[in-house]
Amino acid sequence: MSCITTSSIKSPIAPTWCPGCGDFMILNSLQKAVSELEIKEANLVIFYGIGCSGNMADFNYAYGFHGLHGRALPNAIGAKLVNHNLKIVIVAGDGDFYGEGLNHFISLARGNHDVTVIVHNNSRYSLTTGQSSPTTKKGTKTKSTPTGVIEKSFNPISSALAAEASFVSRGYSTKPPQLTQLVKTAIAHSGFALVDVIQLCPSFNKKENHLFFAERMYDLTDENHDSSDKIAAILKAQKADRIPLGIFYQDKKSVPYHAQLSQIENQSLIDQWSAKTNIRVAMEKFK
Amino acid sequence: MVISKMMAKICKRHGLQAFNYLEYPSLIKGGHQTGQVFASNYQADCQKKDLDILITLNKNGFKEHRDEITSETLVIYNSDAGHLDEKEYSHLTKQILEIPFRSISKEKTGSFNAANIAVLGVSAYFLNFNRAVVRKIIEDEFAGKSEKIIQDDLLAFKAGYAAAKKLGKPIKQTPKSKDDQILLTGNEAVGLGAIAAGIQFYSAYPMTPATALLHYLAAQQQNYPLIVKHAEDEIGAINHALGASFAGVRAMTGTSGGGFALMAESVSFASMAEIPLVILEAQRKGPATGLPTWTEQADLSFILTAGHGDTQRVVLTPGTVEEHFELTKVAFYLAEKYQIPVFILSDKFILESHQTIPKPQLSYSLPHQSMIRSAPKDGSFRRYKVTKSGISPRSVPGQKHGLQLTNSYEHDEFGFATEEIKPTVNQVEKRTRKMDGLIKEIPQPYLVGPKKAATTFVCWGSTINVVSQLIQTQSIEKKQAVNAIHLPVMWPFPKKEFTKLAKKAKKLVMIEGNQSGQGERLIKQETEISFADRIHRYDGRPFYVEDLQNWLKEK
Repeated sequence: MSCITTSSIKSPIAPTWCPGCGDFMILNSLQKAVSELEIKEANLVIFYGIGCSGNMADFNYAYGFHGLHGRALPNAIGAKLVNHNLKIVIVAGDGDFYGEGLNHFISLARGNHDVTVIVHNNSRYSLTTGQSSPTTKKGTKTKSTPTGVIEKSFNPISSALAAEASFVSRGYSTKPPQLTQLVKTAIAHSGFALVDVIQLCPSFNKKENHLFFAERMYDLTDENHDSSDKIAAILKAQKADRIPLGIFYQDKKSVPYHAQLSQIENQSLIDQWSAKTNIRVAMEKFK
Repeated sequence: MVISKMMAKICKRHGLQAFNYLEYPSLIKGGHQTGQVFASNYQADCQKKDLDILITLNKNGFKEHRDEITSETLVIYNSDAGHLDEKEYSHLTKQILEIPFRSISKEKTGSFNAANIAVLGVSAYFLNFNRAVVRKIIEDEFAGKSEKIIQDDLLAFKAGYAAAKKLGKPIKQTPKSKDDQILLTGNEAVGLGAIAAGIQFYSAYPMTPATALLHYLAAQQQNYPLIVKHAEDEIGAINHALGASFAGVRAMTGTSGGGFALMAESVSFASMAEIPLVILEAQRKGPATGLPTWTEQADLSFILTAGHGDTQRVVLTPGTVEEHFELTKVAFYLAEKYQIPVFILSDKFILESHQTIPKPQLSYSLPHQSMIRSAPKDGSFRRYKVTKSGISPRSVPGQKHGLQLTNSYEHDEFGFATEEIKPTVNQVEKRTRKMDGLIKEIPQPYLVGPKKAATTFVCWGSTINVVSQLIQTQSIEKKQAVNAIHLPVMWPFPKKEFTKLAKKAKKLVMIEGNQSGQGERLIKQETEISFADRIHRYDGRPFYVEDLQNWLKEK
């Protein structure tokens, strides 16, 4: 079976995002990451939510599952449990993953399912023309919050750490080499991996442009952050004034969910399918 | 409540047919709980209202069951629950006996825990059960518990039996004949049917009365290549199952009406993206939280249309426990072949009742339906290929050259999203065409009882159990007053066969467990058939044969 290349994974459909959208660079980084990881073409499955991010479904030629808003994670986990030899990537947006699908995120991160989540985080519901999202800063005026958002913004990094995610990171759509590296590390990580990607939205979030982020961002490796230290990661994630990039936390010894199920210890569930079954054992207690 | 199940099992091992209906309030301990066992040489499809024996552990039992006690009922009262003023109760029945169940247990075993088994001993005496059979049931039921517990239970059984012997003579004889049945609940029959159909993934969030299916399948994980996921919520439950199904295994979810309400968007998705899925919708008395542990048939209208847009689905409505087993296999077959959601719409009454069914065959063959063995190497595989039958070939992740996009957006044949007119119309019509094939494969309505009768009841789901028992009772009495048409499927509605049967009826009476007549409304929408009368029950309780007999008398 042939491995994915940056050309094999390109679909015949050209991206439909706005000019200058951060999604282009996230798409490129993902395509580059999976080709550099030499994943077999048939063994990658990408699950998409709904939003500008989810529209990426049409731009990849791969096994894909374009489900409903907020639901990509439970879909992906169902598939992973059936065939844990697959590499599973979830492409979602901040409204999708931190809003509609928040219960799935917080509940399922604890299970340490071996999936990689890439959240396109532009702090807006952009496909619905620019309402506030869970990560919009307090006070921001949007169409749905004309006098400013009252809620404090959702902190995905702190939340992921609190929810026991075993890999927590942040990238930036305007720093593709680092993003590619983060996606690669996340996919290679054996367990639940979050890559929160700060993303520009030139249509509906003009204030938070590249200049805005450049002033506030720094690389965690530049400050000698120890990514095995969860407490240090929590402290870094809680600082509101600066935006760290890179790996906040990785538990390299983490054991994924599927590896804790004895019935798929030797063989994936789908490989255990048989054309014949016998119900004798299942009806033992009815005798 | 385990005692009434054991009673039903004792009857089964004597070669009888048995039915055990459970009533309990929505709390963990206490409250008024009952197990009602009916057994017969001929047929046991439901519990009886007129009781032969009532064993009550407290005085409340007299109050709760006063309508079920006849002058012939033998009432056995647990005298440890306080002094009984005979005068207060003697108008109810001729015979009230008092046995101190708790004291018997304490005296023989040192604890009160075996009082229930003493009850079993008393029952075994009055019904003249084979004692070796009962002892074996006790050993089987508590296998896995400590040797002391089993020994104590056997002592309590013996003491209960002896105490009963001092007070009177057996009221029935129960000869033992060949036991070639199994005893299980509707939920367990769905689980067993699912295993016979090759289920490999079940995800659910606990909700009465579907929870027992989750428990049953969770326990089967050690025996079969099966994963059971207790999901974060019902939305997660159905979406885990959809992901699993997409990845290539037979998948199912189950819940009750309130939980299913949360799943509705994903039913629409499964229909659009053509993902096979079996869903148990276990109706309980609604609306909202309703009467959580009581029965109803009021989710039919909801299930028929749940999910936005024009969607395809099948709604199976099995009656007996045996039909739950059979139709669950059908559900998996139809779901996989037609790549649609298939509902098993049932209710608390039958899902939590035990019933004997003939021992089913053991081996089942499970060929894949509508899945490709291999895909063309040139990348020309089209997941949503437009075909005459409407069924498109399906690949699964991991399969070489089968790359495809399973899509909730309207899509072209490859699965890429489209807003163009032609592919949109093609796909809508392709999906709709699947119903043409389905209508030929769904189970058909059938007649129960004599060919001709003064009254023909029309039933869907578990109601047929009670009507069928009524028909059996009248056949013993050599009457031919009633027959019934049972609908084991409500969607797609089997117009042709139903109309054929209904036109032969003299007087059609719809009987269903809801207030608004949801089944009748559907039949009116789909056929020219109209009903002379209707019986509705919506107090959370199941129908009783005796109530139907009274209804017929009054008419």
